[in-house]
Order: sequence, then C-alpha cells, then structure tokens
Amino acid sequence: MTFFHFGNCVALAYVPYVIVYKCSGLAEYSAFWKCVQAGGAYLFTQLCKMLLLATFFPTTEAVAGSLDITGEFLKSTVDIIDLIGLHIVMSKFAGKGQLKFMIAGMGWATAELIVTRFIPLWMGARGVEFDWKYIQMSFDSNISLIHHISVAMLVWLYSRSDLQKTSLPIVLTLLGLACYRPLIVEILMQAVGLGSWMLLLAKAGFTSVVALISLQMYLSIPSQGTNSYY
Amino acid sequence: MWFDELGEVFEMFKGSFPLSFLFFIPIFIIISPVSPVNAAQEFAVYRMQQYDLQGSTFGCKNAIINMEARSIDSKMLTRRCAVAKLQDVTMPKYRDLMTQNAGALLVILPSNLTSLSPEEKQHLQSLEQELMHEQSTVPVYFALESEYLQDIYVDVQEGNSGDNAPTAWEALLSSASANGFQLMVSGSQAEAMPDFEIANIQGRLSGYGIEEQLPTIAIVAHYDAKGVAPALSFGADSNGSGMIMLLELARLFSKLYTNSRTHAKYNLVFLLSGGGKFNYQGSKRWIEDNFEAAEGNILNDVAFVLCLDSLGSSDNLNLHVSKPPRDDSAGGQFYKHLNEVSKSHFPEVKVGMVHKKINLGDEMLAWEHERYSIKRMLAFTLSHLDTHKTFDRSSITDKRETVSPQVISRNTHLLAEALARQIYNLTSQGTFQMFTDTLSVEDNVVEAWLNYLANEPRAAQVLKSDSEVVLTLEQTMGQYLKDVRKTLLKADKRDPEFVFYTGAEYQMNAYNVKPAVFDLFLALCIAGYLALAYFFAQNFHVIYYALKRSVIPVSPKTKVN
Repeated sequence: MTFFHFGNCVALAYVPYVIVYKCSGLAEYSAFWKCVQAGGAYLFTQLCKMLLLATFFPTTEAVAGSLDITGEFLKSTVDIIDLIGLHIVMSKFAGKGQLKFMIAGMGWATAELIVTRFIPLWMGARGVEFDWKYIQMSFDSNISLIHHISVAMLVWLYSRSDLQKTSLPIVLTLLGLACYRPLIVEILMQAVGLGSWMLLLAKAGFTSVVALISLQMYLSIPSQGTNSYY
Repeated sequence: MWFDELGEVFEMFKGSFPLSFLFFIPIFIIISPVSPVNAAQEFAVYRMQQYDLQGSTFGCKNAIINMEARSIDSKMLTRRCAVAKLQDVTMPKYRDLMTQNAGALLVILPSNLTSLSPEEKQHLQSLEQELMHEQSTVPVYFALESEYLQDIYVDVQEGNSGDNAPTAWEALLSSASANGFQLMVSGSQAEAMPDFEIANIQGRLSGYGIEEQLPTIAIVAHYDAKGVAPALSFGADSNGSGMIMLLELARLFSKLYTNSRTHAKYNLVFLLSGGGKFNYQGSKRWIEDNFEAAEGNILNDVAFVLCLDSLGSSDNLNLHVSKPPRDDSAGGQFYKHLNEVSKSHFPEVKVGMVHKKINLGDEMLAWEHERYSIKRMLAFTLSHLDTHKTFDRSSITDKRETVSPQVISRNTHLLAEALARQIYNLTSQGTFQMFTDTLSVEDNVVEAWLNYLANEPRAAQVLKSDSEVVLTLEQTMGQYLKDVRKTLLKADKRDPEFVFYTGAEYQMNAYNVKPAVFDLFLALCIAGYLALAYFFAQNFHVIYYALKRSVIPVSPKTKVN
C-alpha cells in the first residue's frame, strides 16, 4: 500500500502511547528518561531470556500448523523472567510509589512496541499488497500497552507488604494468566478457530478484565486511597 | 556530558510534536525501501503471439504491465488491465478496449481446454484467429483458470458495481469497500530475435542402382505448432501426427532398404521442416537451397512430394492438390493405390481428393505442398481436414486429447502400403499386405511419440534450433536414415521475412490493493478511535473514583486509618 497507509498504522499504534503518557501525569513528573531506562531494562531482559531459551531449551521440530503445547508452555514459563525484570526496574529506579509501575509498564511497552512492531510495519504496510494484519498489529500494540501496565501494577502489588492477604492468590493467578497469555491465545486459535478479528477482540476483553481487577486491588490498598496522582 | 546533549535533542522534539513529525517525514520517505514485495500471488501467464511475417506485424507489442485489474465490462479501462473469462471476450469488446486505450487484457481460459463444448471451441478458435490477425499495442495474456484466479475474477466483477453506481456517494462507498488487485508482469520486455534460426532436418534412403538416375519421392512434414499463445501451442494434430507418421515411415522403409531383396528403385527423402506455420519458411528455404546447389540436387528428378499435415483423427483422408494429377502420372497412381489399399484393408477410411488452385495473390499459402507446386513439382498434402480454411491447424485447442494414436497408426499403415505399391510397382498383387509382423507399425511407439511431442509447446519461436525436441528428432532420423542433416535458416538482416520475439511465458503477480479512498476512510476511522482514546484517558479519573467508591466501603480499614 502507500506511505499513507503506513502513516495510518503508525498513528494507530503509537498515538495511544503518547496520549497515555501525557494524561497519566508522567509528563508532569518528566519521567521520560526513566521510561527510556525501563525500556533499556526490557532489552536486557529479552537478551537474558533469549540466552536462556537458546541454552536450555531444545528446539522442537514441530510440523507447521500443529500445536506444540509443551514447547509453548516452556517458552511461556521463561516469560516469568519478564516479571522479575519488571520487579527489578521498580525496585531500582526511584519514583513516587504509584508512578513506579506506570513508568515501568510504559517504558516496557514502548520498548516492545519499537523493537517488535516498527520493522514489520515498515516492511509490510508499505508493500504493494494490502493486508488487514498491519491494522490488527497496531490495535494489538494498544492492547499490549494496557497489558504491560496492568502486569507492572500486579508485580508492584505483589511486592507490597500492606496488600490484603486475601488478594494475594488473585494477584498470583492474574500474574500467571498474564504470563501464559501467548499460550492461551495459541490454544484458543487452534481449538476454537477464532478469526484474527475475533482473536483481537478476545485479547482486548481479557486484558481489560485483568486491568480492571488489578486496578480495583490497587485502590483497595489503604495508602492509595487518599493520594491519587490525579 | 553526552547525557545532557542527548537530553537536549529529546527536549527539542518533546516540545513540538508536529514540528518533529515534519522533520522526520522527509527522512522516512527518502530512506524507504523500494516497495518490498511479499504475500503476493504468482501465476503463469502466456503472452499472445508476436511476430513479423513478410513485412507485416502481427500480435501484441508490449509485455510489461503494472496496473489495476478491472472487469472487461467496466466503463473506464484506460491504463487498466481488463480481466475476463473466455466467454466474455468478443471481438467488438476487444476493439472497444483498443479504442479506449486499455492497458492490458488478461483472458482466463478454462483449465481443461479439451473439455470445451463445440460452441465454446468454435468461439475460442475464431477469437484466436482474429486476435492473431490484428496488430495491437495492448498486451494480451492468457492464463489457465485456477482457484485463485477465480477469486480475482469474482472480486473484480464486484468492483465493477462501483462504476455503475447511481450516485457519487454510492460510487465512493463501493470503491472504498472494494477489493482491488494490482497486476504486475515484470521481467524483460519482449525483444526481437534477429538471429533466430529455424532448423530443417532432412535424411534420405538411396534406391537400388545409380542414385542420380532414380526417381525420388519426398515426404515432408513441418514440426512446429501455432496457437494464439506460443507457450500454449502443443499442436498434437497439426503437426504432431504428421511428424510421427513421417518418423514411422522412415523406420519401416529403412528396414526394407537395408535388405538387398527389398531395395527399391526409388530414392526416398524425408524432411522435417521448420517454420511451417509461418508460410512454410522451412520448405521454402529447402527448395531454394536444393535448386541452387551445383551438385547432388535431390529435387532433380522428383516423382512427387508428399506432405503430411493433421492426420490424427477422423476416418477421412483427403489428398489436397493444386492441380489434379493425370491418371498415368506418379501422383495419379499413388492416389489409385491409396484408394485400393483403403478399400481392401481399411474399409472405414474414406479417401478423397480436394482440388484447390494456388492463389498467388494470397499472402499465406494454404498447404505446404503449394511451396513445391509453385516450383512445378508434383506435390500434394495428405490430411484428414477437408479444407484449409479450418481453424483447427493453428489453435491452442489442438492438444493430446484430440488425437488418437490408433488413428495415426492406421493412417501410417495405410500410407506405407500405398507407398510400397508405388515404389515396388505392385499393381497386380490385389489384397497383399506388406507391413505386417516385423514390419508392422508399432502402436506403442506411436503413442510414446505422441505423448512426448504433445507434452511441451512446439511453437516456432519457442523451438530454438538446439532445443531438446529438435535434437531428439535429428537423432531419431539419424537412426534410420542416411545423410541426416540439420540445416539452419536465418531471416535476412535487412529485409527479414520473419521476425520472432522473446517472451512467450511470464509470471504475473497479483497484489491485493485498496483504493486511495479507502486509506482516507481508514484515516478518519483511526482519528475517531484516537479521539475516543484521548477522551477516555482525559476522563479516566471518573472511572477511577467510581471504582474507588465501590472499593472503599468494602474495606473498613481505610476509615480506621
């Protein structure tokens, strides 16, 4: 398609990030450089993950089209490192309590967006052939922004000592769900045969539910009740 | 410190977003790669004939296209590629395309050309002739129907509704929702091949006695085929069947001629001529060469020249002559022998004689024997066709399935018997059959040859003089005959009689594209979505407080604190 189409895709993918950055109060705290640092931490974590995958996990010669559940499960298990990485980011970089996870989530998601989405968009959306998948990819990046912020929030909640004991299992379950999200998506795709648009919708629904539950738990933490960043 | 400087650079772009956008866009456009191509569908297309013959130009000139696909019925076809099925294409529509200055025409042929109904076949054949007869600048491509092409066709047909919408708004809407295709044929433009060489393959069996004093019978068949698209011209009947008969006759008579008791007092000359579909260029040059040759002229004392063309189906055998031979001449005797053999051994075959005078005013000769008749040799063509006006001899419908190997074997047998009677002068032998047992026509050899020859396109421009088919034919002739020679003929440099062009088969890419209006629509939708997201983010505190209010009563601790 045209450069215009590429512009459309980029706008759809990136402008929500800018909006969230501007409106969440990160701009006022000039947390830009911290976000960049969080992004750097993302890159380092991915490197560690790749090393681990390449060293310890055998490549399975799966036939194309079939689902290799064990392989996918192992890969998703490695994603726990992401959570550790997020935790380190939040504990190392100074910042006001609730800003911490916003910075970590934002930086993390932006780094992922730049690293994994920009090149495919650049190569694909400018090709002659039109395909809906680039628009879908851009939507997907919006979803993953919410996903990363809520995961950062959950990690932050887990590290809090004043979290209600009853909420702890919920936090762990949600973290597990977030971690194995790619696997669940894969299974859904194989079992139900969801189309790409339905899959996107399912992802959006799933992510917003996780985000709402974590937001509610965050609000139930006593110290947060009074001083919001708004 | 570098850190501060970097911060300043960031600060520059942070402050003014639109300005930085303007700063980056030219850079993006400059460094953007040259349209990377992926996920496109690729299929083979066969270009229409293009050749110059005797000073006139035929077929389509161009080859490279890169344009939008449109239905052939749509109103606007300028600089666009019309896509149509065979039944949609008619000559008036084709002429309309020309006047509209259309970019190209892609004709989707049924995947099985032999299963056409008689009407469809006739439509295709007459279309072929008319297309080939005209010169055009519009590239015409043929493709065999496939599932993907069918999808393109349906989408293109639907896109057509946009052109015929009653209001401008509806037209805009339908063009935004339409699924367009960009068709692209890349590669090198079709070029003339000035050094193209046509090969004639000749071989001979010398008779018993002093060679120069014996009469000669020449058996001639051209080996090329013709159809509207060179890469689809298989020519099983014309002239695969004639070639096979010639090769089989060469084999049978070589057996007879190696035995001194059956060594006849006739020289036999076999010629596989090239360029037969282009006014019999091969025969023409062969005659000229032989007349010019100072010595060893094989055409010195010719009893008759027998041309074979289209002998692979039906029970008719027609001897086409330019001038009816006298009964006592060699030709008259041969015709009598043919009649007798068919009566006594092949009662189902109807042998006839068709007389057609040579029209010297015509640019194209009707049959190959006319080349020899012009030079005052006794010549005739044997064919199952009863007129030269039929389109069967130059059509892409002439495929393996239309020809029966049994008929070819039978015709070969009949012809061999008749020839044997001629050269051994067996007038009083009655129902005697010569070609039986070890001398019989081998059915499986005939079938194998037919499968081989009808398996790949044999258009003259595809068959270079060193192509596999030509080499195989030369080798086979060499097994049976003596003095087998491949003579090459080239068109004259200054005033070429024929010019062939490259580019018979191309790969066409079809890209699924959307019109520019669609991008505009998409941009509007995205702007709407982003505005919604902005509104949501601005008013996030509403949700925030609503949630907080629902949470706080549940946790009484907060109040205690």
